[in-house]
Amino acid sequence: MTDTLASLADGLRAAATPAHLLWSIAGAALGTFVGVLPGIGPALTVSLLLPLTLTLEPASAFIMFGGIYYGAMYGGSTTTILLNTPGESASMMTAIDGHAMARQGRAAAALATAAIGSFVAGTIATLGLTFLAPALAATALLFGPAEFFALALLALAAITTLVGPSLLRGLASLFFGLALGLIGIDPLTGAARLSLGIPQLLDGVDVVLLVIGLFAVGETFYVAWTRTRGSETVMSLAGSRWMTREDWSRSWKPWLRGAAIGFPLGALPCGGAEIPTLLSYSLERRLATDRDRFGAGAIEGVAGPEAANNAAAAGVLAPLLALGLPTSATAAVLLAAFQQYGLQPGPLLFQTQPELLWTMIASLYIGNVMLLALNLPLVGLWARVLLLPKPLLFGGVMVLATVGAFSLSGSILDVAIVYIVGGVGCWMRLHGFPMAPAVLGLILGPLAEQQFRRALAIGEGSPLIFLERPLSAILLAAACVIVLIPRFRRTAETRDPS
Amino acid sequence: MLRTTILAVCLVGTIQTAATAQPAPSPPIASLRIVAPAAPGGGWDQTARAMRQALLDVHLVDTVTVENVAGAAGTIGLARFVKGVRRDEPALLVTGLVMQGAIVANQAPVSLGRVTPIARLTGEYEVIVVPAASPLRSLADLVEAFRTNPASISWAGGSAGGTDQLFVGLLARSAGIAPARINYIAFSGGGEALGALLGNQVSAGIAGYGEFAPHIASGALRALAISSAARVNGTAIPTLVEQGYDVVLSNWRGVVGPSRATPELRTELGRLVARLHDSPSWRAALERFGWTDLYLPAEPFDAFLRQEESRIESIVLSLRSGTNIGPLAPGGGRLFPALIGAGLVLITAALAVEARRRRVARLPHNPSTASLSGVAWIALGALLTLSLLERVGFVAASTLLFALTARGFGSTRWIRNVAIGLAFALAVYLIFTRGLSLALPTGLLQDPL
Repeated sequence: MTDTLASLADGLRAAATPAHLLWSIAGAALGTFVGVLPGIGPALTVSLLLPLTLTLEPASAFIMFGGIYYGAMYGGSTTTILLNTPGESASMMTAIDGHAMARQGRAAAALATAAIGSFVAGTIATLGLTFLAPALAATALLFGPAEFFALALLALAAITTLVGPSLLRGLASLFFGLALGLIGIDPLTGAARLSLGIPQLLDGVDVVLLVIGLFAVGETFYVAWTRTRGSETVMSLAGSRWMTREDWSRSWKPWLRGAAIGFPLGALPCGGAEIPTLLSYSLERRLATDRDRFGAGAIEGVAGPEAANNAAAAGVLAPLLALGLPTSATAAVLLAAFQQYGLQPGPLLFQTQPELLWTMIASLYIGNVMLLALNLPLVGLWARVLLLPKPLLFGGVMVLATVGAFSLSGSILDVAIVYIVGGVGCWMRLHGFPMAPAVLGLILGPLAEQQFRRALAIGEGSPLIFLERPLSAILLAAACVIVLIPRFRRTAETRDPS
Repeated sequence: MLRTTILAVCLVGTIQTAATAQPAPSPPIASLRIVAPAAPGGGWDQTARAMRQALLDVHLVDTVTVENVAGAAGTIGLARFVKGVRRDEPALLVTGLVMQGAIVANQAPVSLGRVTPIARLTGEYEVIVVPAASPLRSLADLVEAFRTNPASISWAGGSAGGTDQLFVGLLARSAGIAPARINYIAFSGGGEALGALLGNQVSAGIAGYGEFAPHIASGALRALAISSAARVNGTAIPTLVEQGYDVVLSNWRGVVGPSRATPELRTELGRLVARLHDSPSWRAALERFGWTDLYLPAEPFDAFLRQEESRIESIVLSLRSGTNIGPLAPGGGRLFPALIGAGLVLITAALAVEARRRRVARLPHNPSTASLSGVAWIALGALLTLSLLERVGFVAASTLLFALTARGFGSTRWIRNVAIGLAFALAVYLIFTRGLSLALPTGLLQDPL
C-alpha cells in the first residue's frame, strides 16, 4: 500500500511537468473533439489519434494518451444532451433524460453533472485501478460464456425498467432491435442469416448506424414533422444555468453508484460500456422515490450513466495492464499502442517496467483533471449551441449523420440505412415507442445468443452449465428478481392504495 | 470550441504535411490508391497505412490515398475494386488468407482470380496453446484427447471460417479426424478468446503468434505447436511438421492490382512494391507491428495463390459440412431466430388488439397538425444525397442536404443557408480527410485541397 502510494507519487512527479500538462490538455481536447463526431466512437478515436503520439517520447506520449482516452470516452455526451444525437451506443442512456433537461433549459446543469460525474467516477475508478487491478482482473477471469449469457439476460431484464409508459411498446422496440441483430453471418458457424443476398448485410447492421439513424436523423424528422408554422421558439436557456443545490444533492450518489457499477463491469472481458450505463440508469430509476421524473429530465439519469461510462473506461485498463487482456475494441487499440512504446502489459508489468507503468497511471489522473478543467468552463458555451436557429442546427445534424454513416465502411448503403432508420425513428416517436430498447436489443441479442451457444458447446450440450456455475446462477437469479419485483410491488400497491 | 477545432486541425495537419512537404523527382507513378477492404484499425488497414507512410517517406510516390471499403471479410472491397478500377489505374488492394477463406465460405461472386497479383508482403504464423493449468503437456496429448472424444476438446479461436478455424481443420485432417467433428468455438476479436484461455474456460486456443506471445513468455499459456515450416527465431516452440503433422499455414497479407491490369502497370506496381519492401521505413513498420516478412514478387505470388486456393477451398467445405453436427446442435443457429420471431408475432398481435380497442397510448404529439412539407424537403435532401454523394462528392452533396434540411425547418434564406452549408461541409470534409485520413468522395473537388 505505502509502496503503491510512493510509486504513484513518483509517477505523478514525473508526469506533472508544464510540457506534459500541455500535452495532456491537447490530448483531452483532441479526444473530446473527435469523440463528439457521430459514428466515431472511442476505439476509432484512439486509433486515429494514435499516430500523433508516436512522435513523442514515451512519457509525453502516455500523458497525451491519457487525455485522448478519457476525452474520447466523454466526448459523446455533449451532442447527446444538446441535440439528442448520441454518436455511439455508450452515451445513449444519457440521451433519455439529458436531452429532456436541455429542452427545459437545464442543458448547462446536465452538461455539468456529466462532466463532474465523469471526473469523480473516473478518479475513483483510477484509484481502484491503482490498488485493485490484479485482484479485479483475476476475478474477471471467472467469467466465461455461461456468466456472460447470464449477464446479458440480466441486462435484458433491466431494459424492462426503462420502457416508459407502455411495456408493450417497449417490448416491440426491443424485439425490433433483437431481430436486426440476427441479420448477417452467424458468428459461430459462418452461415449467413436474413441477409437477403446483399453482401453488405453479411456483417449485420452496425449499432452505430442504428444509433445515428434512430436518434440524430429520427430526431430531425420528428422535430420537422411536429413543427407548427410560426412557433419558432428557440430552446430557452432561462432559469438556473448551473447546477442548483438540489442538482448537487441529487447527483452525488448516482456518481458514486455509477463508479461502483462501471469499474468492475468495465473489467469484464465482454467489452463495451453499454451494459454498465444501462444498469446504472436502471438502478437510479429503481432507487428514485418519484420515478415519473425519469424520462422527463431527471438529473440522476444523466449523472449515473455518465459516471458509469467513465468508470468503465478505467475498468477496461485493469485486465489490460494486469493480464495483457484487451476486453474491448478500444482496449485492443490501447494494447497495440502500449506495445509500441515498449510497455508490455501482463502479470510481470508491475515488476519489470514500474516507471513507465506508474507514469501511465499518473497520466490517467492528470487526463481526468484536464478533462474537467477543459469541459467545465465550456459548459455554458456548449449550451449556447442551442441558441442557433433550428434550420441551421438540424442542417448540421443531417450532414454529420451522413458523414458518420459513410465513414464507417465507405458504403453508400450505410447512409441509406441511416436515413431509413431515421424514418422509422420518427414514426416510433410519433406513436410513443421508446428508442433505447431497440439499440440495446441489437447489442444484447447477439451477445446473449453467442455466449449461450458457446457455453453449450463448452458444456458439451448440457444446459445445466448455466446453473452449475455459481456466478452464472446468481446472475440468472438476479435477472428473475428484476423482472418479478415490479409485479409484486404493483400487486402490493393495488392492495394498499396509500 | 473554435479554438479547439483549429488546434486539432493544425496539430494533425502539421504532422501530415511534414511527411509530404519535401520535393522529390517525379516518380513514374505520381499518385496511388490503396484500398483496404476493412474498417480503419484492423490488420488490412494497418498494412495499407504502413505502406502509405513508407511510400511517402522514401518519396516513391507523390500522393497516396487509403480508402476503406469494409465488409464481409474483404469480399465487398474486392468486388468494388474489380468493378471500379480501370485496368491502367495505379491502385492496389490489400488482401490475405482471410479473404480467400471468405470467398469460398460466402460464395462471393468475385474471386481473387479476377485481380492481378503484385506481391505477398507479410504474414503471421499460428500457434496452438493450452492454459498453464491444463493437464495436456504436448501436442501428442492434445491430439490423443481430441481423437478419443472430439467434443470434449473445445478449441477457442477467431471468427468462424477465419485463419484459426482453417488451421484446426488442417490439423484434424492431417491427424485423420474428420474436421466436421471439431468443437470449435468462435470468439470475436479483442481478446475474448484469450480471456477464455486465461480463465481456463476452454481446452485449447489458436491465434496468430503475436497475440499470444507475451502470455507464452509469462507462462500463463503453454505453446504446443507453431504453424511455420521451421522453428521461428528466438522461440522454442516445435513446429507441427517436426511433430509429424504435415501442416504449414501463415496468415499472409499481400497486394493485388486492378483486374486485367496492363503489362506496363503490372511491372510498374511490382517495381514500386519491391522498392517499398526494401525501404527502412517498411522495415520499421514490420518491427513495430510484429509482422513476419514473407515477401514474394508477382510470379511466385501468383503460383502461391493458386496452390493455396485449392487447399483453402477443400478445408472450408469440409468444415462447413459440420456446422450443425455435434454439441452445437441442441441450441444451434435456429433457436434464437425462432424465439425472436415468436416474440415479434405475439407483440404485433397485442399491438393490433390494442389499436382495435382504440386504447392508444397518449401520443406525444397530435399527428393532425403535422408539417408534412417540412419532412418532404428533408426526405428530398436525403434522396438527393444518396444518389449524388459518390458522383458530385461529399462537399456538394452535403451543402445541398444542409440547405434542403434548413428549408424543411421553414428557412427560405437560400443563399445564406447554402453559404453556411458549404462552409460547414468543407470544414467537416477537411477534418475527416486531412485530419483523420478517412476518405470521403471528392467528386467535384477533383483537386483535393
